[in-house]
Amino acid sequence: MVPRAETAHWLAGSFVLLLGLVLVSEVIVGTPVFRRRPWRAYLWPSLALGSGVLLWVITIFSTFSTIHLLAHALWAEAAMIAGGFQLAVVRGKLRSPSWSLVTAAALLVSGAAFLVHEPNPWLYSRAAFLHHAIGWMLVVAALFPIGHALRPRWLVWRTGFALTFIVLALLLFADRDAAPIFGRFGGIAGG
Amino acid sequence: MRRPLVVLAALACALVVPAVAHGHVVLMGASPEEQSTVESAPSQIELRFSEPVLISVDAVRVLARDGGVLSAPARSAAGGRVVIAPVSGLARGSAYTVRWRVSGQDGHSPAGVFTFGVGVTAPPPTEAVGAGATTWKDDLSRWLFFAALALLIGPLSLRLLVLRGPVPEPLERRFHLVTTVAALAVINVGIAAFVLRASNALQLPLPDLLYGDLQPFAEKTRFGIAFLALTLGFGVVATLLLFAWVSDLLVFRPPALALALVLASGISLSGHQATEPNSTKVSELADWLHLVSAAVWVGGLFALAFLVWPSAPALRARAFLGFSRLAVGLVAVMVLAGAYLALVRLPALADVWETDYGLVLLLKLTVVGLALSWGGVHHFLVRPRLEAGEQPRVRPSLVGETFVALAVLLAAAVLTNATPPPVQSGPSAARSGR
Repeated sequence: MVPRAETAHWLAGSFVLLLGLVLVSEVIVGTPVFRRRPWRAYLWPSLALGSGVLLWVITIFSTFSTIHLLAHALWAEAAMIAGGFQLAVVRGKLRSPSWSLVTAAALLVSGAAFLVHEPNPWLYSRAAFLHHAIGWMLVVAALFPIGHALRPRWLVWRTGFALTFIVLALLLFADRDAAPIFGRFGGIAGG
Repeated sequence: MRRPLVVLAALACALVVPAVAHGHVVLMGASPEEQSTVESAPSQIELRFSEPVLISVDAVRVLARDGGVLSAPARSAAGGRVVIAPVSGLARGSAYTVRWRVSGQDGHSPAGVFTFGVGVTAPPPTEAVGAGATTWKDDLSRWLFFAALALLIGPLSLRLLVLRGPVPEPLERRFHLVTTVAALAVINVGIAAFVLRASNALQLPLPDLLYGDLQPFAEKTRFGIAFLALTLGFGVVATLLLFAWVSDLLVFRPPALALALVLASGISLSGHQATEPNSTKVSELADWLHLVSAAVWVGGLFALAFLVWPSAPALRARAFLGFSRLAVGLVAVMVLAGAYLALVRLPALADVWETDYGLVLLLKLTVVGLALSWGGVHHFLVRPRLEAGEQPRVRPSLVGETFVALAVLLAAAVLTNATPPPVQSGPSAARSGR
């Protein structure tokens, strides 16, 4: 009943990549052009909410250890709540830019969960390296929504936020416990 | 404009190409299988892992019912992916417990426990040798679970059955907030309760519990299977409620309530009324009706006292009178189903005062009596005044009744975790896997 861990990571990576590409697209063409078709505004919050729902499926497959069960549940909730609140912002139910602090909190909690669920130091293994890298990246990335709440017009916040998901997707695609930390994956990974 | 996107997509695709390797160390299989029955005593225990593991000599311990260790030092095979422990002295007609602990290349040290029987049915892992009994933490988590379920089902029922149609915006916001938070709370408390119950059997200190293998509990016990279904199901319920809030489309609420009511049956299908030897389909149904009616009653009271009263004064009388009518039916179902279940669990009258289960039931009945008396005062004294157009000051009393109702749920939680006295075997005597 346990899916291969990398399959789950790649599935998550694909979702995150799609989400990141949507955000990057909006940054590149600008919000007025991107939202010329109104449904596009709903894309990334819907993807975040959808990934949260899918993460519940991954959660119930993560009973091989307590920490993984807890961490996946936390990520599922963080994605659902952040996506739900951003949908409400896009729809005009919530108007204050301060609501992006919910996204900041979701990133912070998700990053903390990555760091807590990895007991080994950075260079112990590729998985350890990536977990630390992802964890700290998400913690730092929480600054982007906070910046957006304080200075909504500054493009740097939205650019940083969008690129965070692109990098996160790449790191998730590269996640293999048994591979060397850097370089090719080698024989132990079957590559 | 498109070039950066193409480059990023190509980069991502390039990373997908390398072949798959497993991630974390996972117990893929065992011989004898987890919770299996074998006809003859095995000469060794074999554990197969997803990754090569490091072991100590006592990586696998096979325990007899009296706690005696029947296994010799373990050794590795198949490049470290298989761990083998020779065993001796196993007899037909007995069940045994296997406790294991290894270290993975990723530095994690997973550990687990499972059982198997030689010529007999293996007990669930919660009854493994060395497993601890339920504690106050289990009672607390069960109570919080019941309370969260009530705060989800009760306000939804009040809104959909009693306060149909538009309501003031502040009240609607509170309904959205309470029900969505309650749905998420059901999931979180459910996870905590599941881990706590598994930890009683795993008997690991907290740092090791974090890497404890929960699969035998999730896949081989009724409460584990119910936990998986409830986690996923309430995730969908929470999503429906989020959609209802975001879109203002209240059409998402009825399916959320219906799904929550159906999911509540998971508790009945994994509790005493489904696993005790004299359990029947009727006892499972009665338990579900008992639970659902209590949840609607307690949660409805909460909604009346903390949602409707402060934020919609114009709807107070309508909500109170409507809920009062609904509560009569709820209490009738609750009392009838509860009385039936008490008779099933305690067929001998003396069991009521001679067993711990009976004493907890007595305590619960006392609190229920207090709550019903309180409700009776509201029904017979407050309701006529509201019908006459008066505006009596009733909120403090509603808050008081809500807290007494929550105390009923606490007594119910303790009762659910208590062990009923043994009864004669019935239709489901062969059932296993609590």
